Amino acid sequence: MGYLGDSFITAIELILGFDREVQMTVWTSLYTSGCATVIAALLGIPIGLWLGLSRFRGRRLLITLLNTLMALPTVVVGLVLFGLFSRQGPLGPLGLLFTPLAMIAGQTVLATPIIANLVLAAVSGADRRIISTALTLGASHLQAARQLLREIRFGVMAAVIAGFGRVIAEVGVAMMLGGNIRNSTRTMTTAIALETSKGEFAFGLALGLVLLGVALLVNLGLNIVQQR
Amino acid sequence: MTLLELKNIVLQQGTFRLQVPHLKLRAGRLYALKGQNGSGKSTLLRLLALLQMPQSGEVYFAEQPTFSAGGRFRRLRQQITLVEQSPLLFAGSVEKNLAFGLKLRGFSGREMAERIGEALEIVGLGGFQQRSTRELSGGESRRVALARALCLRPQLLLLDEPTANLDAAQVEALESFLTGLPEQGMTVVIATHDVAQPQRIDGERIELIDGHVSQVRSDTILSGCPAQGPDEPLVAGGAASLRI
Repeated sequence: MGYLGDSFITAIELILGFDREVQMTVWTSLYTSGCATVIAALLGIPIGLWLGLSRFRGRRLLITLLNTLMALPTVVVGLVLFGLFSRQGPLGPLGLLFTPLAMIAGQTVLATPIIANLVLAAVSGADRRIISTALTLGASHLQAARQLLREIRFGVMAAVIAGFGRVIAEVGVAMMLGGNIRNSTRTMTTAIALETSKGEFAFGLALGLVLLGVALLVNLGLNIVQQR
Repeated sequence: MTLLELKNIVLQQGTFRLQVPHLKLRAGRLYALKGQNGSGKSTLLRLLALLQMPQSGEVYFAEQPTFSAGGRFRRLRQQITLVEQSPLLFAGSVEKNLAFGLKLRGFSGREMAERIGEALEIVGLGGFQQRSTRELSGGESRRVALARALCLRPQLLLLDEPTANLDAAQVEALESFLTGLPEQGMTVVIATHDVAQPQRIDGERIELIDGHVSQVRSDTILSGCPAQGPDEPLVAGGAASLRI
């Protein structure tokens, strides 16, 4: 059947056989990316809302900065945080380097600008009357902003899904801050890179298929949300 | 009794300047705010609704300063409701829209249900509670917006061109309903560019020309004190109900 065909069959067997190594790697990926997305949403949604609703000097500059951060290379984030978390770095004593927490921190840095930017776009596209209607019905500014979030909830959900899509598929941060430690910080992307270089193509392919499946589900979710 | 008083107001919006040296709205009265398109009616209504802060001057509600009221500002603003010319309904059901302001005022579920039912009856949309706002026609949406304001029983109700795009029969029904509200203690301001409307609704006139406000006392001011406070139930059915 050939190298590719055999590897594909082995990969399917690994997935369907619930291979422990594959399971652990998939779990680490979902756990770190899930936590990073939740934290990034908690940071990015208020930032996007604030930038979308307020008018102040320097706002355009902040938006430009946020746009730039969206395209931040993952290895650069990994490098900067590596410097912070390494033994000689200012946060070295915390012993975070090569732990899932360091990966979560790095992925949060990656996802926050994406979520903030997409929420900002949703707020900018929302009907301005939502706020004034809520205010004239007796809401405070905070309650009016909450009502606006409710009205643009599908845009916000799409932003969060896009943030998750970015971090689940990244490799730079996970490699530099996680170190690809088996049963601890090994994610699908880092395992694919490492196992393939070791000649374990089938194992890499199995993880690649799972990653593809996750990406497909994320995009499917995004599509459903965007159509509402 | 003076409900709202504006003193030495200057509100600059780009090149447009709204100037109100003095304007007094009394409780339980009907006012027609007259002015051409672009004369600043909507800006003045937003100012009266305490949604827009002037650069100078002060707005007094029941003789209390508003914009400088600090923590009491929101409580004062909750006495005023503006229904815009093209009102926005929140996504979801009609009931959710009407419940929005009531929840903010701490009403119980039973009280809310009563007020919502009553307000919908008044605008001729009884039983519409569970309808999605997406399913409503333009006219129904405007009536739901009016019901949403009425169920709050504000002391001051501001309406921006409420009869725009309505046919003659609908205009008559709405005007007849609105002119009955001051008798129930509510102060109503109706913005219009229809030159005949102020006369038809028989209210005091406020004229707006290029951002300059002048108040014209009509000879046909509704007299006497309001029979009911604004917190009393609004009359549903009969001459005061609305079927447009």
